[in-house]
Formats: sequence, structure tokens, C-alpha cells
Amino acid sequence: MKTNELVKKKKQITIVDVIIYLGLVILALIYLLPLLWMLSVSFKTNREVLTNPFSIPQVLQLGNYIFSWVNGKLGLATLNSMIVCTAALFISLLIGSMAAFAIARMRLKIMRYLMQYFLIGMMVPVHCVLIPLFVRFSSWNLTNQLIGLIIPYITFSLPITVFLMVGFFKSMPNELLEAACIDGCSIYGCFIRICLPLARVGMFVAGLMTFIGNWNELLLAMVFISDNLKKTLPVTLTFFVGPYATNYVQMFAAIIIAIAPTVVVYSIFSNQIVDGLTTGAVKG
Amino acid sequence: MNKLLEDKKAAVIFLAPAFLLFTLILFVPIIQVIYYSFCNYTGLTKPDFVGLKNYIYMFTSDETMKTALKNSIFFMVFSGITQQVIGLFLAVILTNLKWGRNLFKNIYYLPCVLSSAALGLLWAFLLNPKIGLNQLLGMIGVQGPNWLFATKGLIPLPMWVIGFVALWQYVGQTMMLYMAQISGISRDIYEASYIDGASKSRAFIHITLPLIRPMLVTTLSLNCIGSLKFFDLIYNMTQGGPNHTTEVLASHLYTQGFKFFKYGYASSISIVLLILCMVMTVVISKCIKVETYEA
Repeated sequence: MKTNELVKKKKQITIVDVIIYLGLVILALIYLLPLLWMLSVSFKTNREVLTNPFSIPQVLQLGNYIFSWVNGKLGLATLNSMIVCTAALFISLLIGSMAAFAIARMRLKIMRYLMQYFLIGMMVPVHCVLIPLFVRFSSWNLTNQLIGLIIPYITFSLPITVFLMVGFFKSMPNELLEAACIDGCSIYGCFIRICLPLARVGMFVAGLMTFIGNWNELLLAMVFISDNLKKTLPVTLTFFVGPYATNYVQMFAAIIIAIAPTVVVYSIFSNQIVDGLTTGAVKG
Repeated sequence: MNKLLEDKKAAVIFLAPAFLLFTLILFVPIIQVIYYSFCNYTGLTKPDFVGLKNYIYMFTSDETMKTALKNSIFFMVFSGITQQVIGLFLAVILTNLKWGRNLFKNIYYLPCVLSSAALGLLWAFLLNPKIGLNQLLGMIGVQGPNWLFATKGLIPLPMWVIGFVALWQYVGQTMMLYMAQISGISRDIYEASYIDGASKSRAFIHITLPLIRPMLVTTLSLNCIGSLKFFDLIYNMTQGGPNHTTEVLASHLYTQGFKFFKYGYASSISIVLLILCMVMTVVISKCIKVETYEA
């Protein structure tokens, strides 16, 4: 009887539902309006922003984009960011999954401690190792080189990669590996031919998370790179704070260019990112 | 099978690259930073051991350090509390939503994937004294406050503002992790409680809350450590100003280390930051007891 009542209740739209949806829509607007407003400002002239900031642009000023792309050297910055993040992505995924496979699957006592060792990395802020890293990298001539950013990015991507991948490798049934062993597959074969392909979702999620994290990273990039030709996107944006501080429209055009790739990737893969990340986190 | 999985040589091959990189880039520098923090070190000269001098200076004469420490702790407490409350609240609402769950979830999570450097610039502009929000307030006849340049009070207005921007940006993460944990709870437990006459709010207190405890540890650690690490928004919104009132540990460290090249002193700030992170992690994991419930 009672469950019947509950079912009935669920189908009606109550006043509470209306309030909830109203609240959610208002919150969604708080999230979307600043971003949309930024888009509209990026198409205006400076004078239009000062007199009429909240209207729709009268003429689409594409010149803003051209100016910030050329003068802000955004094309080069995007390319640098691409190189650094892609390299860091592939290497950290490869060595992170290798370590995660050993930790999740191999029966040696030391593995539990190794997992702890990698997880400590999640608690240590980058700031803490900034100075010794900078000193060492400058003595090795690695500052002002993209490779000098790639190495720390790989390292700081490892904890999350290992953490997520261990969750995925642990969830695989034992029988699979056993069957492969009986057929004479080596441990390396098990990893490359069986476990890696099956953990595609995990690799995808770990990869996207680390890629986005590195794409947005500011502090390391700012400290390690001072050569204008090697700067990554977030560092280039801070350049617009200084000498271009009054040129709001161009600054906003630059911001739009900088965040557009992440927005596009996110809108395509948002469901996978959210679901995959949460499966990994809950499992671990 | 077992032999294969106990193969020490293979284990070494699998683990060596990650382990070596991790040790060289993360753990050796931590040892170094501990040593540097006891040194007078400017980058031009070799580190010169001076004992506790840096720490004594930090806690007795450095006024900015006091502000930075106060702001960082404020920030941690503020985001810890607000993110937990709002994140959990949103997660509960969204999980029970019949329509549009994914849509709202994706919108609220969107700023988490965007660069905080970019969003910091956006908010700095929106909160500019003349343009943006204040102009909008002016239209309805309200004189908006000087959002990012006020200096009065124990916690000046800009810190609250940055706190809210950080909340806006990162609450989606807390919400999403809670949603995952809540949707993992079996429906049967709720059905059983309803049959026993429990109301929805009682079910929330006695079923949902105890069962999401493991996630409380994860999200609270993420919130606290994340807010201690906080740098990008501060740097692009106020640059620690006006007059160092919005300095946090990370920005103070950056200024001392890479504007004034006081490597030794910046290292001791790093140690304070590191100790805070470690203490918070240990406190959170010890204080919140995670009981495992048999399914």
C-alpha cells in the first residue's frame, strides 16, 4: 500500500519540484552567464564595453581575435601547450599504467607500500619542490626548454594516473589472466595484449584529467619558462594583465581562444569524463 | 600463473620508470627543500647553513607571512565548509532529479576543467570598481563595494570574494564525487527504510550520510589541500595586493622565491605549506572514522 502511494507521489509535479528546478536554473545561469558575457565582450570595441557592457555587440569585432592571436603570440603558445601536454600525456599514461599494473596485479608484498608512496604525491603541492627543481633544472640547462616542463608534468600526473589505473586493473577478472598464462603468454604480453586494451576507459579518463590539469597549469610554467617563444597558454594570458590591462576586449578574445579547446573537448566527452572519473574514484 | 605474478624482474621493469621519475623529481627535491630552509641561499651563492634563522624571521618579523598564513587558513576553512555543504546538497538534489540530471551536472562541473588563470581574469574584470557588476548595481541605484581593493577587517572583502570565486569554480568536483558515491548506494536499503516508515529526511540522515563517509575523507582532503595550494586565482585577480592583504602562502612563496630570489627563505615557506598539507591529511583521515558496512 505504502509503496503504491510512493509511486503515485513520484509522478505528480509538486511545488517542491518547481522550487528545486527554479533554484537549479538560477545556479546554472550563475555558471553560464559570466562565460557568455565574456564571449559577447570579446566581439565588442573598448568604447562599447565601457558605455554598454551588457548589450549584444553591434558589429562583430573579429579584429580583437586577430590582434590577440598575432600580438599575444597565442598561436605559438597554443602550439607549445599542445607539445608539452601531449608528450606528458602519453609518457605518463604509459609509465603510470605499467606501475599500476604491477601494483594491482603482481603478488609481491612491497606493492602495498609502493601504492602509498605514489599516493603521497597527491598530498604534496608543486610549490614545495619548486625551488630545488628550478635550481637543478637551470644547472642542467633545462629551464626555458619545453622538455623541462614535460618532465615535471609527467611526474605530477603520475599519482592520479596510478590511482585511477590501479582501480581499473584490480576490477578485471583473474580468469582472463589465467587463461592467457595457460596459453603461454608472458607477463609482458598479459599487460600489453590483455590488460591495456581492457582498461581503455581508465586510460581515457586518466589521460583527459592529466591533460586538462597540465593544460591549465600556471605556476611551474611561469617559473620555468621566461623565453617568450616557449611560453604556454596560461602564462601568455597573464601577459595581457600588464601592458594590455586597458585593452579588455583583446584580453577577452585571448581568454576565449585559450579556453575554447577545453570547452570543446569537455562538451564532447563530458559524460565520459564525469562517469569514468567517478568509477575510478569510487573503486579506489 | 603465480610464478608469473611473483616475477621480481618483471616487477622491477614495470615499476622502475615511474618510481625513478617520482623519486628524482618529487622526493629528492623535498629533502633538498628541507635543507635549503635552514640556509641563507640567494641563487647566486652556494647555500650557507644558518640554522633556524629563516624560521625565526618568518614568525617574528615577517608581517606578510602572518597575513598569508591567516588568509590560507581562512581559505582552507571557508572552502572546506562551503564546498562540503553546497557540494553535498547539490549532489543529493541532482541524484534525485527526474529530468535534466546530466545537463545540470555538466554545467556545474564545467569551470573545473577551465583554466583558473583565465577565469581569474574574467572575474577580476567583472568585479572591477567601474565596469561589470558594479555598473549593473548602479542601474538599480546601489553603490557597489570596491570588491577587490577593500582592505578593512580581519578578513578583507577581496578574500571573501576570491573564496566565492573558488567555490564557484570547484564546487562541481565535490558535487560530482558525492553523486558517484550516492548513486552507488543500493535502492533496496531506501525501499526497506520507507516500508519501515522512515521519512525522506530520516533516510538521508541514517542511510545516506553514514554510507558516504569514505567520500567525505576524499573530498575534504581534496578541498583542504586544493585551497592551500591555491595560487592562480589570487595571482590573476589581485596579485596579492592591495598592500599584501590578499597574499596567501603560495603567492608569498612565489614572490619571495622568484621576484626577490630569496631561495632559502622561500624554502622555509614551502616547508610550512608542506607541513600544513600533511597535518590536514592526517587529521582528516584519523578524525573521520570510516566503517565498512557489509553489503
